[in-house]
Amino acid sequence: MKAKKFDLRRLLMEMRLLLILFALMGVLSLLSDRFLTIGNLTNVLWSVCLIGIMSAGFIYAPITGGIDLSVGSMAALSGIIANALMNVIGVPWPLALLLTMAIGLGIGFLNGIVTTKFHVPPFIVTMAALTYLFGFAMLISGGDERSITEPAGFLLIGTGKLFGTPLPIYIMLLTIVGSHILLKHTAFGRRAIAVGANETAAKLSGVDPDKTRIIAYTLSSGTATLAGIVMASLTQQAYAMNARGYELDVITAVVVGGTSLMGGSGSVAGALIGAVMVGFINNGLNLMNMPASFHPLATGIVILAALILNQGIHLPRGSIIGKKTPKKA
Amino acid sequence: MNELASDKEILLDCRKINKAYNGPQVLFDVDFSLKRGEIHSLVGENGAGKSTLVKIITGVIQRNDGEITYNGVAVPIAHSKQDAQKLGIAVIYQELSLIHGMTVAQNIFLTKEPMFAGLPIIDIKKMNRMAQEIIDRYGFQLRATDIIDTLSIAQRQTVEILKALNSKASLVIMDEPTSSLTSTESAQLFEIIYRLKADGISVLYISHRMEEVFHLSDRVTVLRDGYKVAVLEKDKISPQEIIRLMIGRTLTDNEEHHRMMKKETPFVLEVEGLSSAGKFYDICLRLREGEVLGLGGLVGAGRTELVRALFGIDPVDSGTVTFLGKPYTPSVTNAIANGIGLVPEERRLQGIMGLISIAGNIGIPNLDVTSRYGFVSGAKELELAGKAIDLMRVKPADADIPVGNLSGGNQQKVVVGKWLIRDLKLLIVDEPTVGIDIGAKEEMYQTIERLSSAGVSVIVVSSDLPELTRLSDRIIVLRKGRIIKEFAEGVITEEAVLRAASGLLEGGER
Repeated sequence: MKAKKFDLRRLLMEMRLLLILFALMGVLSLLSDRFLTIGNLTNVLWSVCLIGIMSAGFIYAPITGGIDLSVGSMAALSGIIANALMNVIGVPWPLALLLTMAIGLGIGFLNGIVTTKFHVPPFIVTMAALTYLFGFAMLISGGDERSITEPAGFLLIGTGKLFGTPLPIYIMLLTIVGSHILLKHTAFGRRAIAVGANETAAKLSGVDPDKTRIIAYTLSSGTATLAGIVMASLTQQAYAMNARGYELDVITAVVVGGTSLMGGSGSVAGALIGAVMVGFINNGLNLMNMPASFHPLATGIVILAALILNQGIHLPRGSIIGKKTPKKA
Repeated sequence: MNELASDKEILLDCRKINKAYNGPQVLFDVDFSLKRGEIHSLVGENGAGKSTLVKIITGVIQRNDGEITYNGVAVPIAHSKQDAQKLGIAVIYQELSLIHGMTVAQNIFLTKEPMFAGLPIIDIKKMNRMAQEIIDRYGFQLRATDIIDTLSIAQRQTVEILKALNSKASLVIMDEPTSSLTSTESAQLFEIIYRLKADGISVLYISHRMEEVFHLSDRVTVLRDGYKVAVLEKDKISPQEIIRLMIGRTLTDNEEHHRMMKKETPFVLEVEGLSSAGKFYDICLRLREGEVLGLGGLVGAGRTELVRALFGIDPVDSGTVTFLGKPYTPSVTNAIANGIGLVPEERRLQGIMGLISIAGNIGIPNLDVTSRYGFVSGAKELELAGKAIDLMRVKPADADIPVGNLSGGNQQKVVVGKWLIRDLKLLIVDEPTVGIDIGAKEEMYQTIERLSSAGVSVIVVSSDLPELTRLSDRIIVLRKGRIIKEFAEGVITEEAVLRAASGLLEGGER
């Protein structure tokens, strides 16, 4: 094989999402002089850290051609379970968190089993999970908002700082980097993409599509559980209504980040950029003192514009490669 | 011929039809005419141009030039599917187009439902009554209110035909209609075809099954390599003659015969009494090291099903398989670990992952080589991809390009190439050259020959007879799921294979 030539156009295509992000930052910094400061940028990262953590595992559902709608309910439930274990049953907090993680992973495993072995579409399976997990959360908490005032070690997770930066940001960056490595550098990542791109072809190449999907849903539920733990510590409360609707925010981040809901492609870094982009829009609107009632409309429009822009730049990609691949006469 | 007299009885007349699909020409000055109330068969080997001609007649694709008249009216080149339907041309496809969950009547009257006068509401009672009238007129054993899902395949075909009749079809085209029917069901279908004929409706019949063509047809048109080679009248039709014309070479044409190569190498694969209900029965075969075994037979004879079972995709009911002297339980993982590779039948649906790069496609079955503790070495993966690209001469030789952007031939090279970089013992190829150009086809043949001389055994499933006879050291012909004939030594002719596949064996053989 010949050595790769430097191809500026290809590089720009791959970086296009980052370019859109920088363009958005440029516009916002012109609109508000308080935007481009370390403090404000840290704030934005902090505001999207739950979505960022959730996207890291969630992304494997769309990559394998599925979806996981249960992540919001799972996050709420995990906060409630962790609180019940620590403050009702009295389990030491590190053990309580491990147990909570195990339960969350187990529920994801179950979602995977139901969709692969009983052939129920993932949309249906996880929509049911969205409802029954919320049901469990209501049942365990009695529907009440419970403040979490101890243990201090647990509260440190969401409120602690390291070098002046809140711990949740580190947790988010670690899960994102971990997920990126999993997708790009492991056999599982390769298999997940293969299953989403063409399940039959993947199967005939020795991939076990069911096993791959089960792992994907387990991971998705796993990061949702982690996000729920961070959320409970950060908000110092356990409440079934927390994280309601987060599944849609996570889907938005992942899709803006260039992951196809049809399966076979995905970018973890893109999902983070997608989450940050949504964070910037909300932050910008706040800085400009826009009324809160105006936020969803503005966010929706900017997301749509970003998606169209991303797709629009995406289109010529085939033709550029097409030029280098002359059709057989 | 008296032109004027025959004009009245001609329903469809095609003259000097030419067709090229961006590049290779597939039909050359083809003439084809069909009389009213005639059962006319169109035969030819795969790639002879039958389906292209039918697609032109039914308006699915447009001819480049040539004239078509239907019912004495000229059909323009820009002739669409809807135009063909309006003319009265109906097609019964191999895959039926009925809507499940609906009744027979609903399917027959789809988009033509009788309404309550002046209201946009379907008069279901009237529709059921009208449907039952048509069913009874032709004497079919069906109820208008039966749900499609409860019917047998043959009954569904009947509904499809009724649908055509209800839309006032004057020509019904049937493409391999018996491929999924039992012999009783086929006999019922032939009854229907005769009834259509008695009603003055023309039937254009396409089948690989010579005995059907022989029994049904009033006339037969034979296509070969895009040319019309003959039109046989009723008294001239014989299966031997049709096969001779399809292949275009006579029995004594020795140069075209292929000599079997007898190998004395050890056995690699031994299959004993392998059966899978409804697919294949009691298959016994042995394959030697470096041997190329051809599997011949008609579409639906069980060839693909057999190789899928050997590769472990579909389960089997009984039988044993021994691979390299050890008992072998077919499963895809097991197959790959044992050095077996499969190039599946439908490249786009089963072979490639179009969105993924060449390196990614090649990497998937080789993750055992490229990864350690679950981590993949990107460098190793690229190295393997480069090796496969060089071996198969994939163009462009860029491992990063999504396979979906390559030409058909290059896509197939990637599918083959991903197995060649392994320690391969047996490669199974199913219709390896369908839809690829001649250059890539030749390269594929050379690859298979190279593999064979390097000691890799190959199983070739192909409906392309020249391909099968050229590549194979030995040919096994399947018919209706059973091995019906084996050509192991001496010379083999395409004709002999086709005769066996069609169920026309010389006396003395089973």
